[in-house]
Amino acid sequence: MTPAPLLEIAGLTRHFKLKGGLFGRSAGVVRAVDGISFEVDEGETLGIVGESGCGKSTTARLIVDLIAADSGTIRLGGRTLGVDLELRELRRQVQMVFQDSYASLNPRLTVEEAIAFGPTVNGVSVREATALAHELLVKVGLEPKRFAGRYPHELSGGQRQRVNIARALAFRPKVVILDEAVSALDKSVEAQVLNLLSDLKRELGLTYIFISHDLNVVRYMADRVMVMYLGEVAEIGPVESIYARPTHPYTQALLSAMPSMDPDQLTREAPLAGDPPNPINPPPGCRFHTRCRYATELCGKTTPSLFALAAPRHLAACHRAIPGSGHPDAPRRLETAA
Amino acid sequence: MSVTASALGRPTPVERSPGYWAGVVRRLRRDPVAMVALAIIVVLVLLAIFAPWVAPNDPYRSSMIRRLRPIGTPGFPLGTDELGRDMLSRLIFGARLSLLMGVTPVFVAFFVGSFIGITAGYLGGKVNTVLMRTIDVFFAFPSVLLAIALSGALGAGIFNGLLSLSIVFIPPIARIAESVTTAVRKIDYVEAARASGASAMTIIRVHVLGNVLGPIFVYATGLISVSLILASGLSFLGLGVKPPEPEWGLMLNTLRNAIYVQPWVAALPGVMIFITSISFNLLSDGLRSAMDIKA
Amino acid sequence: MSRPLVDVSGLTVRFHGERTVHAVNGVELALMPGETLSILGESGSGKSVTLKTLLRLLPEGRTDVGGRIAVDGRDVMALEGEALSAHRGGIASMIFQDPMLALDPVYTIGDQIAEAVVRHERVSRAAGLARALEMLTRVRIPSPERRLKAYPHELSGGMRQRAMIALALACRPKLLLADEPTTALDATVQIQILLLLKELQKESGMGMLFVTHDIGVAVEVSDRIAVMYAGEFVETGSVREIIGDPRHPYTKGLLAANLHGAVKGARLDAIPGAPPPLDTVPTSCSFAPRCPVRLATCETARPPVATLGPGRMARCVHSAVAA
Repeated sequence: MTPAPLLEIAGLTRHFKLKGGLFGRSAGVVRAVDGISFEVDEGETLGIVGESGCGKSTTARLIVDLIAADSGTIRLGGRTLGVDLELRELRRQVQMVFQDSYASLNPRLTVEEAIAFGPTVNGVSVREATALAHELLVKVGLEPKRFAGRYPHELSGGQRQRVNIARALAFRPKVVILDEAVSALDKSVEAQVLNLLSDLKRELGLTYIFISHDLNVVRYMADRVMVMYLGEVAEIGPVESIYARPTHPYTQALLSAMPSMDPDQLTREAPLAGDPPNPINPPPGCRFHTRCRYATELCGKTTPSLFALAAPRHLAACHRAIPGSGHPDAPRRLETAA
Repeated sequence: MSVTASALGRPTPVERSPGYWAGVVRRLRRDPVAMVALAIIVVLVLLAIFAPWVAPNDPYRSSMIRRLRPIGTPGFPLGTDELGRDMLSRLIFGARLSLLMGVTPVFVAFFVGSFIGITAGYLGGKVNTVLMRTIDVFFAFPSVLLAIALSGALGAGIFNGLLSLSIVFIPPIARIAESVTTAVRKIDYVEAARASGASAMTIIRVHVLGNVLGPIFVYATGLISVSLILASGLSFLGLGVKPPEPEWGLMLNTLRNAIYVQPWVAALPGVMIFITSISFNLLSDGLRSAMDIKA
Repeated sequence: MSRPLVDVSGLTVRFHGERTVHAVNGVELALMPGETLSILGESGSGKSVTLKTLLRLLPEGRTDVGGRIAVDGRDVMALEGEALSAHRGGIASMIFQDPMLALDPVYTIGDQIAEAVVRHERVSRAAGLARALEMLTRVRIPSPERRLKAYPHELSGGMRQRAMIALALACRPKLLLADEPTTALDATVQIQILLLLKELQKESGMGMLFVTHDIGVAVEVSDRIAVMYAGEFVETGSVREIIGDPRHPYTKGLLAANLHGAVKGARLDAIPGAPPPLDTVPTSCSFAPRCPVRLATCETARPPVATLGPGRMARCVHSAVAA
């Protein structure tokens, strides 16, 4: 029997009202995250991919309540937030590393002070917290003697990101959310940090949520991948399954938009035209239908729900995959055995 | 499961970088303009403190025979004013009141305004709206007008003058404080601190104050010259310091008519106001550059 | 035998100020018309600085530029006044990572493009606007007539990029300099812009110098690649040569770090360490401290430049021996 997932998200929703007009009347609603549900098993890495406006960063912030959710449930280790799980406890067990390594560190605090801040807030003495900070610096590959007394502006981007990782680890979390944590780093530094993340995951038994726009990195790091579009989940499944048999047309477009590494197989045609749309007043029905080459009238009317495909734990929200949906490409509905 | 401390329990010794403020001081020391301005201010402050010992004559002793002597008169190097009092001594003693009227209101406004602005900036939402719109009402008045109105309402005298000037400067400082705090609040490290479960007070103390007070302070030091001039203006209008107290603005007023007789002497208090104002401004500029950290 | 469009030799760039930075330490570059060369490197390698010298965009007071820089036969460093203005936009033009660096927020797109045309070609404003419409159509902006009257902030990211390209190409320059123009774009937009640039280049026959840190982008867009590290080219060659047969250890390291063929679960072949600070002129191989195959000689002497074929070189002792 498979163990229960560590983190369960159900129906997570967050809309932002746009204020406009003379008296701050609502000028529209940004449906940043619209009722998404997913699970993360203990010890795995869930990759979340998507382009601007898909809601992946908002989702990360909703999970740790940096932004309050409008609705939805968050369950960690079987306990539900707001019922038998306190926010403080959730925030300790789920930590986040942000993209901008410089903005993530208070320029007035030294490296050790920055790492020790979290524990001191949670009742640990300054002395012990500082010792812990030094220990963590060693773990992330920074020599305490050289780095603990330095200020953020004296470090390189890669070094700062290591400090941010150490800062997250100071809480001894179960889950670490990496929100484009390596995106701003040079490729050679990125490789170093990815190696570090893999080592730490193994050593400390961590679970990762890895948010990135770089599909190569996600393929390397993640066990399962969730593809988001305009605030909804388009497809989710094991990484090899997603990359080998992408089912949702958006996933297919994303994968084929990756620049080719083979000079003999250059891209001939862009898979999608136009920019990723704004999540303000998204299209009705399937949100991708306005840019989808397979769209039919059905797609503009009915929103497809996530449907389990033949491959294990691989789901896609597309009418073409749902038997009997009415889409010409959909498989015929299987008759139940009489 | 709580956060456990390290098994060692003892931090290892580390190399320390000089702190932020040490860097600021170092950069400031290398700025010639700021250093000259600072020197001038220090001299003025020393003159004010040691006035009784430095001034050659009694600033209150008048003599109708010696009225409006020119600069260079033996015994009265900078001449005498319309009541025969020694200009040099009056200017030196005047530094006391003028500097007091210049610095104190800004000092007071710095604390009150920062408190209001940081609170409004950090809490946001309705609290911010209520606080800042109230501040805006005061801010809508031109500062001179507001100072005169308040002084007029409170009555003349040094204390009332200080009070009204303080009130005049609270709104601009509160605005700056709110704007800087709102900006800092959105930066990732504050979000990370919130995610660590720290209380609002702790976050403000550790993360916000250190990054916010600096810019506010620089802005406030720039206001000292304005305060000086406003104070002089109030005295000039008879609303601040009362005669026979030596205060540069008041001296400008009483020497008004002497402009036709001894223009250089009559202009002297204005020159002092000018030198002091510009020194504070240049020092403030230098501070701002020194605090700009992107090393 | 046509003349190279860009002919750079012995280029050195040094910045003064609080610290001295030797940003570029001897670069040789030749670009033929119609050709695309990508300069591939990480931050601090000097690739953007190299590009900017071709338009004289570096701050004159703080910068020492040495060597010979010729674009379309003219010495760029000798241009002054009118000639320099004509060069910028008329002969060589640049697009950036952030389109708001090129687009003025207070003028409409149409006005900006028209202004450039009017100033360079001394035609009427009507002719300028007509060219603006033509350019917007060529860069495939949807509803180009409407966009003429739009302000930059009214356009989405991808459209702004297209508008910037339209502005850069309005006066039909012979050379397009691209400084990481797609780095900040989403993947599906990035590939559109890359294909657009390739198409525009084929139509106009202009040469393109493309700076990027992304190998995939370099492969899609260029004919040749120059790998840059610590202010110099460490390897150059055609795209096939660089990708299929990398010679310099840094190039190999970059390719390995690309994750394209990375095996899941296996450790990445990361290049250890960090690039050198550029405060002195290098006296040994700049890459030696991080190089997995360094020899004693690499840390004491400058590495030799091994010519491995026409347009193919590697700045490495190992290549020199093999050649």
